[in-house]
Amino acid sequence: MVDPARALLVFAALVVATAVLVWPRRGVFALVQRTRRATERVRVEDAVKYLFHAGDDGAAVRPEALAGALSVRETVARTLLTRLVERGLARTDGVGFRLTEGGRRDALRLVRTHRLVEQWLADRTGVEPAEWHAVAEDAEHDLTAEQVEALAAQLGQPRFDPHGDPIPTATGELPVDDRVLLGRLAPGEAGTIAHLEDEPAESYIALRRAGLTLGRALVVHARDARGVQLELDGNRVTLPHLLEAGVSVLRAPHTSTERPATLADIAPGESARVIGIDRACRGAQRRRLLDLGVVPGTRIAAVLRSAGGDPIAYDIRGALIGLRAQQAAWVRIDAASIAPHEADRVA
Amino acid sequence: MSPTTFRGQALARDADLVQLATRSERFDHLVALAGNPNTGKSTVFNALTGLRQHTGNWPGKTVTRAEGYFVAGGTRFKLVDLPGTYSLQAASDDEQVARDMLLFGRPDVTVLVLDATRLERNLNLALQVLAITPRVVVCLNLMDEARRRGIGVDPLALSRELGVPVIPASARSGEGIEALREAVRAMAAGETPTTPYRVARFDADTESTIATVETAVLDAYPDLPNSRWVALRLLNADERVEAAVQNGELAALVAERPPAARPTPVASAAIHDASPVAVQSGNDVLAVASAVRWRLAADFQDRITEGIYRAAEAIATASRLGGVQRLRFDFDRTLDRWLTSPLTGFPIMVLLLGIVFWLTIAGANVPSAMLGTLLVDHGHAWLSSLFTAAGAPDWLRGFVVDGVYLATAWVIAVMLPPMAIFFPLFTLLEDFGYLPRVAFNLDALFRRVGAHGKQALTMCMGFGCNAAGVVATRVIDSPRERLVAIITNNFSLCNGRWPTQILLATVFVGALAPPALAGLVSASAVVSVTLIGVAAMFFASWLLTRTVLRGEATSFSLELPPYRPPRLWQTLYTSLIDRTLIVLWRAIAFAAPAGAVIWLVGNVSVGGATLADLLVRWLEPAGLLLGLNGVILLAYVIAIPANEIVIPTVLMLTVLTGGVPEAGAGAGVLFELDAADVGVLLREHGWTTLTAVCTMLFSLLHNPCSTTIYTIYRETGSARWTALATLMPLGMGAVVCFLVAQVWRLVTGA
Repeated sequence: MVDPARALLVFAALVVATAVLVWPRRGVFALVQRTRRATERVRVEDAVKYLFHAGDDGAAVRPEALAGALSVRETVARTLLTRLVERGLARTDGVGFRLTEGGRRDALRLVRTHRLVEQWLADRTGVEPAEWHAVAEDAEHDLTAEQVEALAAQLGQPRFDPHGDPIPTATGELPVDDRVLLGRLAPGEAGTIAHLEDEPAESYIALRRAGLTLGRALVVHARDARGVQLELDGNRVTLPHLLEAGVSVLRAPHTSTERPATLADIAPGESARVIGIDRACRGAQRRRLLDLGVVPGTRIAAVLRSAGGDPIAYDIRGALIGLRAQQAAWVRIDAASIAPHEADRVA
Repeated sequence: MSPTTFRGQALARDADLVQLATRSERFDHLVALAGNPNTGKSTVFNALTGLRQHTGNWPGKTVTRAEGYFVAGGTRFKLVDLPGTYSLQAASDDEQVARDMLLFGRPDVTVLVLDATRLERNLNLALQVLAITPRVVVCLNLMDEARRRGIGVDPLALSRELGVPVIPASARSGEGIEALREAVRAMAAGETPTTPYRVARFDADTESTIATVETAVLDAYPDLPNSRWVALRLLNADERVEAAVQNGELAALVAERPPAARPTPVASAAIHDASPVAVQSGNDVLAVASAVRWRLAADFQDRITEGIYRAAEAIATASRLGGVQRLRFDFDRTLDRWLTSPLTGFPIMVLLLGIVFWLTIAGANVPSAMLGTLLVDHGHAWLSSLFTAAGAPDWLRGFVVDGVYLATAWVIAVMLPPMAIFFPLFTLLEDFGYLPRVAFNLDALFRRVGAHGKQALTMCMGFGCNAAGVVATRVIDSPRERLVAIITNNFSLCNGRWPTQILLATVFVGALAPPALAGLVSASAVVSVTLIGVAAMFFASWLLTRTVLRGEATSFSLELPPYRPPRLWQTLYTSLIDRTLIVLWRAIAFAAPAGAVIWLVGNVSVGGATLADLLVRWLEPAGLLLGLNGVILLAYVIAIPANEIVIPTVLMLTVLTGGVPEAGAGAGVLFELDAADVGVLLREHGWTTLTAVCTMLFSLLHNPCSTTIYTIYRETGSARWTALATLMPLGMGAVVCFLVAQVWRLVTGA
């Protein structure tokens, strides 16, 4: 029979070896996959996209900037740009590079794929918001034109991605709206968040952690060296200028932005009238709530608390539906309409 | 129209339905049955069709499909049960199937089942159905419950509001079913004019948006009756409807003319230009819809649903009898307060489930013994003598009687009684409405590992039979949570494994304690293994949601239906028949081949040694590493079809390969002994306490039985998840047994 001590040691060694191989992002398999992906085509496409985004205001892009963005050496970036010029996707004035019309079309196609994938992730999967951009970055190189069109059809031809970015059409049109950078709002002005910049990932995560999501209303209070002071849902938030640059808003009339009351605020025995569902609630979850009758004007009563504390059962249009606290927090109610509810009353 | 034209149409439509249908018999009219979940729709279905029904799946989807037939007034109707849905937005497979059937299946009549106690919510679906087809008969079900709770609904007023016939019913007691049949017959025969409610008034903006697209639709298809609904779907970029517009399917639905020829591609200028254009083809309609959609407000869909609910509210109010009513005593709420309070909720739950388990174990003993004597002792002997008398060769008798028949009989004897008790009891609790409260109470715990509260229920079902537990996960409608429940269901110790656990615990673990405590100790050993299984389930759920299932979509809602007095005898009877049939089918389908393999392994010789000898010897090193031995591993491999025959197989193989052929009933023949003899036999062949403990753990943590694997594949439709569900428990079992064995040996110096 095998010596137990030796068997255990071998086992431990196997566990360590497996961990080294399959560890997410830093394991051997992940690294191999990353290197294999960094093919010529992928690098070219990334370069085209960078030129598109960076060259928005017409300025030419220098190799150093591209090198920094793609995390490659400057010589590699220079070679890449030369290849773009050879293929007719970019032109140069000797120092900086700009996209040609053909390059712009390619870029729009890539951007369309990227944003469609993000919308699919947001609408049809449970992938975390912080990961949408990274996953889409990888996937955008792998989809064929037919697959992209099928994806767009399946999603119902969305116009904006979950960050608020416009999705170019198949023919390269970009939907526009009247959004402005948050920096353009003067103290005292209000707006609703229309776009949150998803790169770099850390900034996006920081913005979301500060409570900013699409559709939220904010009011600018003051601006100083530290950053901008906002009122968001009744909370005072200070955003450093660096983060502020990643937020675009639609101007809106100044309405009360105190923290909206939600269904999570009423206790069993109380009822309230629904104003709407937070836009952070999306996809299948949102559709389910709508189908159950959680629409503006509905009166919902909290009836039972579970023995485990959560969920709470609500009377929604005559049916008793259990919702977790997290979901109840997405349902906005009119604070003034909270009233005691008599459970045995049939209205 | 003459009957032959009807039939001709029916046959032609049947050909269309081949895409949607799996089987068809001759019928005159097609009837679709739609409604919310929990409205008693299946009761209506059963009441209308009796036993003339069969279930399957919608092609290409893992959604159940039930079809049945009934006759009314000399005409034959085929009834198709659509999945219960809250809406027809086509967001989930269920909704897509329902919508496709209503739109493209062109049923002659649609029966819409509404819950009289929750009219508003039900009207959401009703208004959407009425927008698609005018030939609707409403079955206002659960009238008895409405009366009990003091809710009054006036069917005539509702009929006036909706513009279609409304038949009040209580399907449970059969009330209204005859009237429903007659109404369906009349509608199919064209005797009932309808003016279906079509106007859900939205705000001015939304109305003008819809009008633009609707005009384009009507320009292209002047006779389309549901143009407004089609316009709404196009504004939602509904893939299926768009395809139907483009390839002429929609046109063919309007009149019986062939699809239009391929239209010319649309110019890109049309995207910006939504002013009235001569709309000649489907593509033009799509272009108009595209252009209008460009300018839609972001919350368009919300506004549509809002508008529908506003209309529903108005209709419900107009149909209600009397005003605000007060109930003197609300049984439901009071009971709920007891069942969900932290103080009383959990104890009641533990008590009820404990009673169910105890009744199963205690109640199954005698029937199991009786069946065993009948099928195994007497049946086997009788069949054996039959074969001998007929002069059949030894190997044939051995193969058929000792192999195939014996294994099948064994499985039936062990499986049938516990399942026949456990499932009816469980179904009673479910019918009563208690089970969702259990899920409600335990949800907080399951949420922490990324699962759904209803997994508690499927886990309990798994204690009866894992395959049944997997099927039960249909109640979890969120994709990710459902997969978690399916993959981890195997950690519930199913009925088939209890005998193994109890036997080994009694012989090896109980024997370690003083005789007075032996029973208690062995019982606690079994309970501990069960609890380890529960812990493994939580751990596996946590692991899956963090890794493999991370990105799957998730949505939570838990409906608490009202309490309904269970129909005791009806439930017991149907559940009994169901369970009996399933066990018999399973025994024949899976256990019979296993029996054949077992007998062959014991009787086929290669180079002087039986297959059993060779395989056992080959598996011995791996077995020892895991704290088991070659016999146990081989037994688990060939008994994969059924856990019940593991111990008899182990005994047979032990005797066969251990060179004690006079014990037992012969080579390749399963047998059993009472506990004391088992202990002696196994210990003689090298079993120690460690072997028993590892076998108990492996029995808990090995791959699911073949029925379960097959069921998982049918439910998920994916080879990938089936493979994961099979290999993950096996991997966990191997690792756990290995660690226990090595540490034990290290510590005890064995």
